[in-house]
Amino acid sequence: MLQRIIMIIWKEFVQISRDPRMLGVVIVLPIFMLLLYGYAINLDVKHVRLAVYDQDGSQASRELVGAFTRSQYFDMAVQAWDERAVTQALDAGKARVALIIPATYSADLARGRRATVQVLVDGSDSTTASTAIGYLAGIVQSQNLQVSLQTLERAGQPVEHRARFWYNPELRSTNFIIPGLIAVILMMLAALLTSVTVVRERERGTIESLVVSPVMPFELMLGKLIPYVIIAFFDVLLVLTVGVFVFHIPFVGSVLLVLALSTLFVAAALGIGLLVSTVAPNQQVAMLTAVMATQLPTVLLSGFIFPISSMPHAIQLFTNIIPAAHFIRILRGIVLKGNGLAELWAPSLFLLVLGMVMLAASSARFKKTL
Amino acid sequence: MNWRRIGKLMKKELLQTLRDRRLLGVLFLAPVFQLFLFGYAVSTDVNHVATAVYDADRTAASRQLVERFMRSGYFDYRAALDHPAQIDHLLNTGKVQMVLHIPRGFANDLQRGRTAQVQSIMDGTDSTTAGIAAGYVEGVVRAYAAGISVERLVRARGVVSSVPGIDARLRVWYNPELKSVQFMVPGVLCMILLIITMMMTALAIVKEKEIGTLEQLIVTPITATELMLGKTLPFLLIGLVDLAAVLLVAAHVFHVAVAGSVLLLFAISILFLMTTLGLGIFISTISKTQHEATLTSFFFFLPFILLSGFMFPVENMPRVVQWITYAIPLRYFLEVIRGIFLKGNDLSVLWPHVLVLAAFGITIISVSAWRFQKRVG
Amino acid sequence: MSNVLTYEHAVEVRELVKRFGAFTAVDRLDFTVKRGEIFGFLGPNGAGKSTTIRMLCGLLLPTAGRGTVAGLDIIRESERIKTRIGYMSQKFSLYEDLTVEENIAFYGGIYGVSDARLAERKAWILEMANLADRRHSLTGELAVGWKQRLALGCAMVHEPEILFLDEPTGGVDPISRRNFWDLIFTVAGAGVTVMVTTHYMDEAEHCDRLAMIYGGKLIALGSPAELKAQYADAGQLLEIEADPLMRALDVLAEAVHDVAVFGTTLHAVVHAARGEAMVRTTLERAGVAVRRVEPIAPSLEDVFVRLIEQADRQREEAG
Repeated sequence: MLQRIIMIIWKEFVQISRDPRMLGVVIVLPIFMLLLYGYAINLDVKHVRLAVYDQDGSQASRELVGAFTRSQYFDMAVQAWDERAVTQALDAGKARVALIIPATYSADLARGRRATVQVLVDGSDSTTASTAIGYLAGIVQSQNLQVSLQTLERAGQPVEHRARFWYNPELRSTNFIIPGLIAVILMMLAALLTSVTVVRERERGTIESLVVSPVMPFELMLGKLIPYVIIAFFDVLLVLTVGVFVFHIPFVGSVLLVLALSTLFVAAALGIGLLVSTVAPNQQVAMLTAVMATQLPTVLLSGFIFPISSMPHAIQLFTNIIPAAHFIRILRGIVLKGNGLAELWAPSLFLLVLGMVMLAASSARFKKTL
Repeated sequence: MNWRRIGKLMKKELLQTLRDRRLLGVLFLAPVFQLFLFGYAVSTDVNHVATAVYDADRTAASRQLVERFMRSGYFDYRAALDHPAQIDHLLNTGKVQMVLHIPRGFANDLQRGRTAQVQSIMDGTDSTTAGIAAGYVEGVVRAYAAGISVERLVRARGVVSSVPGIDARLRVWYNPELKSVQFMVPGVLCMILLIITMMMTALAIVKEKEIGTLEQLIVTPITATELMLGKTLPFLLIGLVDLAAVLLVAAHVFHVAVAGSVLLLFAISILFLMTTLGLGIFISTISKTQHEATLTSFFFFLPFILLSGFMFPVENMPRVVQWITYAIPLRYFLEVIRGIFLKGNDLSVLWPHVLVLAAFGITIISVSAWRFQKRVG
Repeated sequence: MSNVLTYEHAVEVRELVKRFGAFTAVDRLDFTVKRGEIFGFLGPNGAGKSTTIRMLCGLLLPTAGRGTVAGLDIIRESERIKTRIGYMSQKFSLYEDLTVEENIAFYGGIYGVSDARLAERKAWILEMANLADRRHSLTGELAVGWKQRLALGCAMVHEPEILFLDEPTGGVDPISRRNFWDLIFTVAGAGVTVMVTTHYMDEAEHCDRLAMIYGGKLIALGSPAELKAQYADAGQLLEIEADPLMRALDVLAEAVHDVAVFGTTLHAVVHAARGEAMVRTTLERAGVAVRRVEPIAPSLEDVFVRLIEQADRQREEAG
């Protein structure tokens, strides 16, 4: 039995090593995504393009504009001289935020009244917009404080707030993204590689020669799975190494625990891939289903980028059946917080159950389709 | 050019697609499914930060501050701590994202006119959420502080006629409620058009290669152009039907209607589809099997999705990467489609993007047509 | 269309060469196919048969040499050739998810057959292939023999003058093969030139003329009878049953002109009339039990095996 499984593993490896595109997926794709997510994709909203229409043109108004442009959040992009120019800048996307300072601004302040400035925000990218709104509220408030200070100076600063960030003190988004990226890459590999493997053998007719051989269905499944588990280990180590040495991720937990729990995740991910593979009648459907059933939920619903806590309740419950959601919790826990099984037993258990259910289902489907 | 031949080829292609129930399901349900996913689930709004409070002061003032926090709507009250050792466990297991710590002597400091301290301890793992949450905390604390300042001033001077200050009157254009579905619908449209036209075209051609019918077609008098058109136009059609489906769902379920001209939207979509169909053909010319075609299309698909500004704004990327994004046609299409969809832009604003898209489309389709010759080798 | 009546040979090939990198698949091939004949292209796998047919059909460009099909140049006029020929390969390139009728209509449309004519052709194909009852079945559900006949029908939907069949009977049972050849005779009887590749000797016997090809080179050309007669000139063919067979092969390889294994027997060529006795004594002297030695008429297989061995010997001597 062992020998039969080993023969299938050997066959899969030979096929993979002779297929340059497959090698590309195993080695180049993870590095490519790592660099992309590590360098290119930045969740911090900075350098928002700002249009300014300063009708006042006074010392005070220039100070307010300066408060915006001195912060790293806003870049002066358009200096407008009338309302139309402001509208155009927003319409054409040359600016995301426009600041309009009325002609009475400095006079109002001088008389001890509240001056009103107008801020227009391009809401089409809701994420960037809400973040930018937060920033500009902060800037206006601190400017506010400065302006009021002359009056309030004797009152002193009544309350001071200090924030401390644990696990990721500088709030670097790479620390947040790269551990999660392991899950995304593994899921992509599993889906891409396994979803077509069974269909391909069926289309080529080689599955029949395997079926007439004394190989048992679960042996075939195991033989097809193990090579990908080994590839997965390789990719986990690849991502972690680059993450630690290139992107300086603080790795505080246990590498062994990451690898051990990766096995659970890979089993679940491959189980989904195989299930798709046994259900799909041809490669076209297999590929599309794999993308829809694995890629999107893994990227969107796993908490990889969009926090689960911000999702509606029903969808939060739904995320429980997404293996990546549990695995990403595990990865961040181990890598950033140094968690052990004591804290992570719940998501690990979920992964184990999901993996077993997926593999059992695909094994059962597999027997039926033959 | 023999349109009857092209028509026959298209009819065959559509017949095959319609007969494949599962493929049909994926082709037409997937877009709607994606729309729901993006529309309902995906949101970067931070408004339920799980919070534990460690109030070591236990005074009316500290309780007032805590109440201010909970009333702000951003924080969900999860636990009250009575010992600092509990903080570690709660954050470590991820049960709360933030602990608000009001030290002993808070009220006392306030009373004596000293600066009182408040501390928030955040789980920084999710840097985005943590950063935004910290901003909220700052806001709540400042507002509270401003109130105290005015009180102190009143106490010191008697009356405060007026304090100068700045009010920002905020108006959000194009998407006043900042709903993420507004932002996502155009993106979903792009994704669907990309998947269906690029991947499906590549696979459909390579599949004929695999089963040998392509060779059979090559020995017929059909020209390379006719063959190319016959294989791509059905997917153009399916892509446009999907486009209409997404627009309908967006309008009736999510109440997101196209602000600009729907006709213009379709016209420019066809322009973009020249690029994706061309890429599909190109992939088919460099792939021998469907498996190879799938893998190859992923190498196009990923940079398209990640670098186009679909999920991650281009302006946040490093300068060098921003230059690279100029080489990605989807980036321009996304600008166009968001412009028409949300801002109601017309050609007078969009023409530079449209021009670039046309250039991409013509170049890519020419290169592919040149590569797609009617010989096997 | 001026050359419809003017061309002399259906296919004419001069010094045709196709190289894939360092490998020469077709090596300076010369032959002509007469109008209206069934021309067989015989050779083992990898001999260059399919490559040649694919060059004639415009699927591949020749590396060197020239050729005409229906009087049209295969390099410059390949697109015009395509309207005049039909092509069917071993893969029976049909769309399995289309029905029988839809496949015919599709290829008809691609060949530009008018709707009125298409109706006639469809009726003819359904009748010829005996598929009238299954016209609405999905092609994927048909048995291999039916698919093969449908593929032939689709390749002939536009009434081609020349039909190229590339191993059309691969993977088909003997009865279906027999039926299929009956179809080929019918088609040829109607004046269509047929060029067919095969490695089945019994099929080769059905051809008017045969080209034997090996290692990309033409090794023999003629009607089956001519080829066998050439063989007879070389000497008498004996069929030998002996035990142990392999020992007998080794012994005879030293003693006679030509010897080869045929199933459970050996075939050997001897020069003299006394050759039969010579073979017996040689074998018995070497301690091999001789069960039977009998003079037989050569089959095409004998001819073919001998020509290949000759070619191998020549190649060894040359290099």
